[in-house]
Amino acid sequence: MSGKQDRLTGYDSGRFRKKIQVIIWLVSLAFFLLFARLWYLQIIRGDDLRKRSENNRIRIQEIKPLRGLIMDTHGNILVDNQSSFDISIVPEAAKNIEDVMNKLTDLCDLGEDTISCKKPSFKSGRPFVPVRICKNIDRNKLAIVETHSLDLPGVVVDVVPVREYVYGKTMAHILGYVGNISRSELGRDIYSGYRSDDIVGKYGIEKYLDGYLKGESGGEQVEVDVSGRRLNILGGIKPVPGYNAVLNIDADLQKICWDAFQEKAGTAIVMDPRTGSVMAMVSRPSFDPNLFNRGISGDGWKKLTADSLCPLQNKAISGQYPPGSTYKMLVAAAALEEGLITKNTEIFCDGTYRMGDRTFRCWKKKGHGTVNLHRAIAESCDVYFYHLGEMLGVDKIAEYAGKFGFGYKTGISLPGEKRGLIPTKEWKLRRYGERWQKGETTSLAIGQGFTLVTPLQLLRAYCAIANGGTLYKTQLIKRIETADGQVVKEFLPEKERTVPVSRKNIDILRYALWGAVNEPHGTGWALKRKERDVCGKTGTAQVISMPEDTSDDVDDVQYRFRDHALFVCFVPYKDPVIALLVIVEHGGHGGSVSAPIVRRIVDGYFNLERRRKKT
Amino acid sequence: MKIDRRLLANFDWILLGLVLSICGIGILNLYSSGYNLYTGGEFLYVKQMFWVLLGLIMMVIAFSVDYRIIIRHAYLIYAVSIMLLLLVSFYGNMTHGSQRWLVLWGFSFQPSELMKLAIVIVLARYFNDNMKKGYNFGNLAALLALLGMPFLLIVKQPDLGTAMFLVILVFCMAVFVGVGRKFLVCFISGGMVLAPLFWFLIKDYQRERILTFLNPERDPLGAGYHIIQSIIAIGSGGIWGKGILKGTQTQLRFLPEQQTDFAFSVFAEEWGFLGVSVLMLIFFALIMWGLKIARHSRDFPGALMAFGVTMFVFWGILINIGMVIGIFPVVGIPLPFFSYGGSSMIVLMTGAGLLINVSMRRFILQP
Repeated sequence: MSGKQDRLTGYDSGRFRKKIQVIIWLVSLAFFLLFARLWYLQIIRGDDLRKRSENNRIRIQEIKPLRGLIMDTHGNILVDNQSSFDISIVPEAAKNIEDVMNKLTDLCDLGEDTISCKKPSFKSGRPFVPVRICKNIDRNKLAIVETHSLDLPGVVVDVVPVREYVYGKTMAHILGYVGNISRSELGRDIYSGYRSDDIVGKYGIEKYLDGYLKGESGGEQVEVDVSGRRLNILGGIKPVPGYNAVLNIDADLQKICWDAFQEKAGTAIVMDPRTGSVMAMVSRPSFDPNLFNRGISGDGWKKLTADSLCPLQNKAISGQYPPGSTYKMLVAAAALEEGLITKNTEIFCDGTYRMGDRTFRCWKKKGHGTVNLHRAIAESCDVYFYHLGEMLGVDKIAEYAGKFGFGYKTGISLPGEKRGLIPTKEWKLRRYGERWQKGETTSLAIGQGFTLVTPLQLLRAYCAIANGGTLYKTQLIKRIETADGQVVKEFLPEKERTVPVSRKNIDILRYALWGAVNEPHGTGWALKRKERDVCGKTGTAQVISMPEDTSDDVDDVQYRFRDHALFVCFVPYKDPVIALLVIVEHGGHGGSVSAPIVRRIVDGYFNLERRRKKT
Repeated sequence: MKIDRRLLANFDWILLGLVLSICGIGILNLYSSGYNLYTGGEFLYVKQMFWVLLGLIMMVIAFSVDYRIIIRHAYLIYAVSIMLLLLVSFYGNMTHGSQRWLVLWGFSFQPSELMKLAIVIVLARYFNDNMKKGYNFGNLAALLALLGMPFLLIVKQPDLGTAMFLVILVFCMAVFVGVGRKFLVCFISGGMVLAPLFWFLIKDYQRERILTFLNPERDPLGAGYHIIQSIIAIGSGGIWGKGILKGTQTQLRFLPEQQTDFAFSVFAEEWGFLGVSVLMLIFFALIMWGLKIARHSRDFPGALMAFGVTMFVFWGILINIGMVIGIFPVVGIPLPFFSYGGSSMIVLMTGAGLLINVSMRRFILQP
């Protein structure tokens, strides 16, 4: 065995032994390399790769909270959460995505919004992350997909909560709608805690109370297998549902207001003059907020924004109108309070009023004859107020307007409120670089000219007259409570100020408003009801100044040039319980168009109350 | 057959022990990886036990018959193997796009596995026959013919990995017997000339695999996925491992082919570096023991055959583990005695039998 050559076979074992020695070294080296690599993977990179294996296995899944409900003052649900179904594909589980997609589309029509399987999201390198291919499929299609789930590997159905706006169009402007947070919103400070896939309120209460309604996300650690199937829940934090909001809105009254308009455009607000709470607020035309639930289509959005009647605008707070004759209350209050007139001051109206070289006309061409303040308000004599305007001057009117809440926001809990415009001498100089003309005060005194008010401002001022002089904050929200009913925040009536008008003078105005409806020559005579005494004032807001001798027949005037018809009132005379404003856009002259709507609302309200008392 | 008592006295229990301990660990590993993979029928680890038993029978046959008789029939064995490969190319079963299996009496068999052993035996015979004359270019042609036939048949299946494996075995044995330097230069340069040609001949998926080997992240979902998941599985085992049945990569099926090609990854994940070290040491000892047998063989064909069989096992280990830890491309070479597979197990057990054969006859051999 000692390396000598075998004589017979010529086998030189020594030579091969040397070779084997070399091979032993080579084999050892090879094993050493394998060892080194295993050392590197298991010991040096062990922790890192352990993490990667955990990432494979454990998925953190966010659980979105349910958004808070919105209820009316009686607890009726206005906004609820419903389930919507999305279809997603897990690329890894599907293997051949195109195949699965074809099968899916053969089974049912998924709609045009279906994402193509060519989409780059399928090649993101994250094979276990589901890619959503279509949203909001109906239940029939859901059933088809579910029954064929074995033939559709990788196809998963996600249940997504969506908002259901129970009252649809009628409350769209109050409740608003929700949508995916936009890139620009994400950049803003108020959305600092939000994530890119969050749903946020975009409009109305949904937007204003978003912080309360949204709730807190929870999360789950789920163990999944290679095809993304959930095997175990390893732990998690439960989501906290959003707070519920209770509004002062009365859903039934809201419905009455909505129906009262029939198909006319305009706005109606009902407030409780004793508290400032908003009981109803309608703006027409409107939109269906449910359309926004899963993203509105491009066409749908275009249609809404292109509509000249501005269905997306809440006319009650964002519409700015000349107050017309409804403004006479304010001018009268100022004149009384300044001691320029008493309730007995009489002025002769012959239908015209001359100021410099201009002639202003009363709406009643023949004139009212000799009128005192009561009749001037009740019969809405323009000439009487032309005189008051001249006596007061623009700045005095503006001062009182400010005290009645005009010219600044009422602070209602809705986004998009406008502040209106109360002109002063200084304002005109600043705005136009021109001095104030005396004639401008004349038209201002009857609520025309530069003055612009929002319907909500106007109604709030009338509430102050109705309740004897208190200007309340407008309260749309009653309270915010947790999902199980604990009160988080309560919104109690809040006095903003007392208007600087004495009780005696307010009573003069209140009586005049009673007269406007309940005396035979009053402009609101159409509203006289036997069983209750409505007190109110009509108004006509000019859209443009019309040539003076056109026909009074509104049908002849082109729709968009027609005046807006206003009516503000409170009921009853003694201790009023509701105050109501109605504006019919392009309704033509004051009383005739708005009165029936007001009547329907007032009657509707009292019928509702009677029914509620019975039960 | 009369049994020489000296044969029993010299029986190589160590080799048998090493082989059976690897088989045992392999079966345990199959139990763990199959735990959550059950798809009906017999569990794979049970089947593997059966293959080991069958292998042991083959092993007994392989060490009972004097290896010189076996080598005398080398060309017959080779011819039978070629016949089987031919049969595969005509009647073989298609799986995963390649034709590798022959179904005989309900058993699936992979003749290419048998070919690995057959080429070792036939080369032992061939080199022995030509030793005295020295090796020249005429021998090269004969060698290329012996290698070429099975090579082409296996490439055609297509099974590039196994075909290359044959080339490596032939190369190792040629180097071992000491073919001239010119011979080696021709062999290597011929390979280098053929390599680009090869590139155009091979199938797309094979090309893909080589590219993916060079950069696994190139296609993390497709071919690279296997390697990435394997590396994650092995590395995440750490020092101590995750414990049997607790390997998440394995049990949650992130790891592909975990009973055959990636069986080692399962083991590394569940047993960690410590377990891997033990297994690797057993493998190392087995190779060393095989080389020792070759070294102590009394005659040339015995040494050659022992060396060839040892290289068969060694390259199987190197390529398979190299593949699962990402230093070799993904080719379907099972880990010897460890991966699931009937053909491979039986052939390897037969090979171990040949090693024992050479080992136990080293003292009684009369030249």
